[in-house]
Order: sequence, then structure tokens, then C-alpha cells
Amino acid sequence: MIASPLDPLREMASALGAGFVAVPPCPLSIGSPQGADDVWRNSAVLEEWRATNAEGEARPAIVVAVWPDEHVSAAFTETSPNEFARRSEWPFAAWYAALGIAARRAADDGAIVALVERPSPLDGAGWAPESGAADAVEALVRSLARSEGHRGVRVNCVTTPARLAPTTVIAPPPSLPRFPGRVDHEVTQAVRMLLGPGVAGVTGTVVHADCGRSWR
Amino acid sequence: MSEHVVLVTGASGGVGRGIAHACAESGWTVWITARRQAEGQQVADEVDARGGRGHFRQCDAADADAVEQVVADIVATSGGLNGVVLNATSGLSPKPGVFAETPIAELEDHVAVSLRGMHVLALATYPHLRASAGSFVALTSEAGFEGKAKLSVYAAIKAAQRGIVRSLAREWGPHGVRVNCVAPLAGTPAMDRAFEMDPEMAARVLGRNPLGRMGDSATDIGPVVRFLLSDDARYLTGNTLMADGGSCPIN
Repeated sequence: MIASPLDPLREMASALGAGFVAVPPCPLSIGSPQGADDVWRNSAVLEEWRATNAEGEARPAIVVAVWPDEHVSAAFTETSPNEFARRSEWPFAAWYAALGIAARRAADDGAIVALVERPSPLDGAGWAPESGAADAVEALVRSLARSEGHRGVRVNCVTTPARLAPTTVIAPPPSLPRFPGRVDHEVTQAVRMLLGPGVAGVTGTVVHADCGRSWR
Repeated sequence: MSEHVVLVTGASGGVGRGIAHACAESGWTVWITARRQAEGQQVADEVDARGGRGHFRQCDAADADAVEQVVADIVATSGGLNGVVLNATSGLSPKPGVFAETPIAELEDHVAVSLRGMHVLALATYPHLRASAGSFVALTSEAGFEGKAKLSVYAAIKAAQRGIVRSLAREWGPHGVRVNCVAPLAGTPAMDRAFEMDPEMAARVLGRNPLGRMGDSATDIGPVVRFLLSDDARYLTGNTLMADGGSCPIN
């Protein structure tokens, strides 16, 4: 599992019996950030991390999850350049690097699952950067499904609003009362399904493990 | 403000130029921004020739100060702003690359123009769109729906814009501002370069298109964007219109 070092993701790796490669932290979340440009001044960190981890034993199943330490909702027009860089620019670069590692390390006929946080469309206000990052990951997954499919590698995506869902949702209520779902339950089940042999013909698709809040 | 005033970014050629032409034919005032001075001014002159009022300002879409200055100029000169078209895109967009080998630093230009640039443009224009109950349109791509093996960065950037639009429609709707996307498939200089870099691409692109041809920026794509900018689309927000001849297998 190539993921941000957060408890729910470490627990998922443990539940799946997977090793854990930690995604580097956002430079705007550590030390004394100078500004949004920090993301790109530190691109060499991601480059080196990708190069280092792209080498090694091939794996039959890889889960990728780039999640920030915490989320703060804000209107797009009230989001500062630094916050935009933290919520949009860094995730874009980190997801790209992490999925690149997965592409290199996935064994022939293997499976990759990207697990991305995505606000459900009805609940998307205040989460524009996260909505953008999630859609970007969907496209990256489909790009990888195309480039790696010739060697039998399946690439799919699971989305979850577990840490983004509002306490009061816009009507109608989600189909399942367990909304937004738990990482260690509904989300892990969806990831396990897409990694398993029972979906050998499924690639480039997205499963919303959000208890029926999204319809596409 | 009695006239319809719109801003089209990255409009010194290609799809942006076509959008400017379509808006001109409705007699609108069209402000054009681009990095290329001579080509941008030429498009402004073409707007005049087609019955609109054209203005050009040289501007880097990722430069917040420059974008704010242009928007201030528009409001001071034209009295307001009814519509904004985010069309600017990185010059690296048609450059093919292998997913795991594309340098991370190379992502910055894509992100700066299309994501940071979207944030910058939204911040600068939102107060004026709110005052006019206006419309914001982002040019995305079918690549953003289906991914591209050799254009993965471009595809992801275009998808990200659509995701942002989906949230913005919810944030801005209560204030009367509509936000939508158009995914065009048009014959443009950028598409020509992409075909040159990947000779098999033309067969792939046209082979699945039921209309069997590339779209024309001014007559096939521009009117769709103009529709979203107009009051005819006043009940339409949070959508992506596929102006692609039926090419994209996902809708």
C-alpha cells in the first residue's frame, strides 16, 4: 500500500496484509512554509521518492491513497493561494508520483486500486479543491488502465466521503443510513473486491463507497 | 451595463478564437487575454470585424496580479462582466509522455495555468459575475472523462477542472452565478501538434466519431459556449456539455 501515514490507512494495510510505503508530507504542512511555491520548489522530493520506490519486487496488488492530514472546508473564493496549493496542487503532484510507482511495481496481471477522498456531488460546496483532486484521480486511473492493460494490469478507483461528509446533509438523505461509511468497513470491502479475482474483467472504473450518495 | 460583456482567456488562437468569433456575431463585447500579443490583438480585430467589440490584454493566466488588473480594466471600461470563459491551457498540453516517467516538475506548468489559474480567475471575476448574475464556463476535454495513456497529465488536469466546476456550481448558484463546462473536440493548432507527435492519434480520434470530422472552433464549439454564457442557459449549471461530435464514450 502506497499511502499517507494516517491511522485509517495503516489499519487498512494491516487488514489487507499489505506492506506500507508512506507518501511524503505536503511541504505546506510542515516546518515554516514560505508560500504556495513551496510545492514546486520541493518537487525534487517527490521525484526522488518516486524513483526510489519504483524499483523493487513486483506486487500483484497495490492500493494507493494520498490523503491530507486533515480537511478544512471553505468557499472557493475564500480559499487563500497557500490553502489552494495545499488542497489542490500538492495532491495533484503527489497522486501522480504515487500512481507512477504503482504502475512500475504492479506485476503482470496484477491490480491497482486508487482510494481517493471525494465529496458527494450534493455535498460538494466548500470542497472544490477536493472535488477537483478526486476527478483528477479518476482520469489518472483511466489513463493507467489504458497504458497498463496490455500486460493484464487492472486499475480501478474507490471513492469515499468518510472524512468530508457534512453533519447535516442536503435532502434527500443517502440511501443507506450508514452514510458516509467507514474506512475500515465499507471502504475496505470495496477495495478488497476490486483487488480480488472475482472482477477480472473490470478496469478503469470507479466505485463510490458512499452508501448511495453518488449516482455516477 | 446594457451590453453583454465576456472575457475569454487563452483566446489568441484555436478554440478560444472560435469562441470569441461566436460571441462577436451576437454583437457582444469580447475581452481577450493571452500571452501572445500580436495574435491576441488580431483576434480582437476579428471580433470588431464580425460585429462585436474586441479588446485584447496580454496576460499570463497564472499571474494573479495581472489577471486582477485585466478584470479591473474590463469593469472600468465596459461597466461590468457577464461571462467568463476559462480556456487558457498549458503549452505542454499536447506533449505525450509515459506516466511513470513524466518529470514531476513538468506538472507545474499544467497546474499553474489550469488549476491555480482557475482559482485566480474565479477570485478576480466572482464579485462581478455575482453583480450581473453571470456565467462561468471552463473548457475541459473528453480526455478528462476517459483518461489518455500518453496524455495523462492533460487528462487529469481537465478532469480536475470539471470537479471544481461541480462544487462551484453549488457554491455560486445561490448567488445567481452559473458554472458549467464544455468538452470540445476541435481541429486546432494544438490538436495538429498532438497529431504530429503521435501519428496514430488522428485515426484513433476520428475513427470513433459518428459525425466523422473534427469540430470547427467558430461554428461547432463557439456557439455552444455562447449558449452557456447567454440567458438562454439561465437554468443550466454544474453541467458539462460534450461538443465532440458524439466521440466520447462516457457521458
